[in-house]
Amino acid sequence: MRAAALALRRKQWEPLAFASPSLVLIALVIVFPLVYAFFLSLRNFDLSVGPGSEYVGLQNYTEALFRDGRFWGSVWNTALIIAPSLALELVLGLGLALLLNRRIRARSILTALLAIPPMVSPVMAAMAWRMMFGVKYGAINNVGLQLGLIDVYFDWFSSPLISIVAVVLVEIWHNTPFMMLVLLAGLQSIPQELYEAAKADGASPWQSFWSITLPLLKFTVAVAVMIRMIDLTKLFGLIFILTYGGPGGSTETVAFNTFLVGFNDFRMSYASALSFLIVLGVLLLTLAFLWVSRQREARAA
Amino acid sequence: MRAVATATAPAFTRRLARSRVRRWAGSGLTYLGLAAALVFFLGPFFWIVTTSLKGNEDFFSFPPRWIPLEPSLAHYERLFTKASGLRYFGNSLLVSTLSMFAALVVSLPTAYSIARWRFGGGALSTVLLVLRMLPAIALIIPVYLMYRAFGLTNSYLGLILLYTVVYIPFAVWLLVGFLRDFPVEIEEAALIDGCTRLKALIRVVVPIIAPGLAVVALFAFIATWNEFLFAVVLTGIETKTMMVLVTSFTSGGTDMFYGEASASVVLGVLPAFAVAFALQRYLVKGLALGGTKG
Repeated sequence: MRAAALALRRKQWEPLAFASPSLVLIALVIVFPLVYAFFLSLRNFDLSVGPGSEYVGLQNYTEALFRDGRFWGSVWNTALIIAPSLALELVLGLGLALLLNRRIRARSILTALLAIPPMVSPVMAAMAWRMMFGVKYGAINNVGLQLGLIDVYFDWFSSPLISIVAVVLVEIWHNTPFMMLVLLAGLQSIPQELYEAAKADGASPWQSFWSITLPLLKFTVAVAVMIRMIDLTKLFGLIFILTYGGPGGSTETVAFNTFLVGFNDFRMSYASALSFLIVLGVLLLTLAFLWVSRQREARAA
Repeated sequence: MRAVATATAPAFTRRLARSRVRRWAGSGLTYLGLAAALVFFLGPFFWIVTTSLKGNEDFFSFPPRWIPLEPSLAHYERLFTKASGLRYFGNSLLVSTLSMFAALVVSLPTAYSIARWRFGGGALSTVLLVLRMLPAIALIIPVYLMYRAFGLTNSYLGLILLYTVVYIPFAVWLLVGFLRDFPVEIEEAALIDGCTRLKALIRVVVPIIAPGLAVVALFAFIATWNEFLFAVVLTGIETKTMMVLVTSFTSGGTDMFYGEASASVVLGVLPAFAVAFALQRYLVKGLALGGTKG
């Protein structure tokens, strides 16, 4: 015993030495660039103008918040995409999780097959769907015509509203399985005895769903929705391929707008300021989430 | 007794029959719903694969042919020869593989330090989690400017370095979990036998937690394979990845080069299929922390 304790006694420098390679790399490649970007956001560096720049204080931030209609447009578009996507992903994901949680054959293979879309990159998902939305050769118009649902070749990206619908549809296809997996795990952690007890007391399946399943699943739902929401604020690849922000900027998300400001207009300082506003938004969402879950824990205790 | 049994029997069988019908209808609806879900979630893959195998004859036929009569690999051939598809596929493979190994090698000792010595306490874990949530768009602007200054744009090294580091927080977080489950006694035995910490980690711990390492590696691979924003900004004509290659097919409205585009999508989603099946049990954990996003 004594020997074991002796051997396990660490040398003072070891924990730091083991951790330092990652810490140094993170400091150099993530933390330093972020600090640099923050100082950049206080200047007026514009690559299309030249290498020089000067300190302008918070001017970039005030411009974004008070004078930049395009930025607020992109905030609005992002919200317009997030709200229906989240709602539908949640409802469909819960429905699928409930189906998979019944006594069925081949559950694991079905789950694995349904879980494939979220593994695919947003770019590839968007590319596949862009071709499916194709006016003449796309699968959607052709299936619609064959089934008699539509009577003309329909251009899915001609109007702002329908473009948003198309983006939401692809997003739902891409990430509903994620919701499904998380909720299925949540469902499987609910003790079966609760349902048996409810049944013995004469509760209908509908009643036990409302008074057992939903209350016990609430926290899982909150976590899953939060993760998706944070992810959706970064929506970029899907937009880049599917609509490139069009038509007329109607599907420009905050991340995509920042990308255009930085790498189309080359306004590096302004793009940095915009990106910090996104970080702030994500941070607030995360904190709100932590607050909600603490509240819940406090009430449970 | 007998009379009672005969009196209740018809009612009992009726009720049994009704519940059986109901159960039968219920499971029928369950399978119907799941079948609809399969069509919706896998249909696009089916359509992309068949489209990539269609020759002109099949592609332009009206009414549309859902399954090609004469499958051909012509689109793949043209993608490989004309669009340098093979090179970009190779680039993706190279960058993902090297980033995966580098991320593992760097993250493992850090995870060990956190799991065994509680290095950094709760603060470090929180920092790692926050870094995980960091939007890529916030990082790409300064990284692009720095890479430009150091001549690291359009280089494999630059891309691999960025992917490796961006992946560390996630890899560490997963590895800490695996290491905490590892019995300390086995390590102690090795240490008593005169191994150094590092040797014990490499010779004793690594072989035993190999399945866990494989999980982390596969997630790292697929995340770098799928990553788009960094790749589209930092790569050039030689170093493009598959994700950047497909953007060259999007010009020309919605009716575009279906053949090569669909072939490149098939190649682009191939690893996702493989990894989805290999990682079934870990999908929730991995996806939840953004495992598949770079």
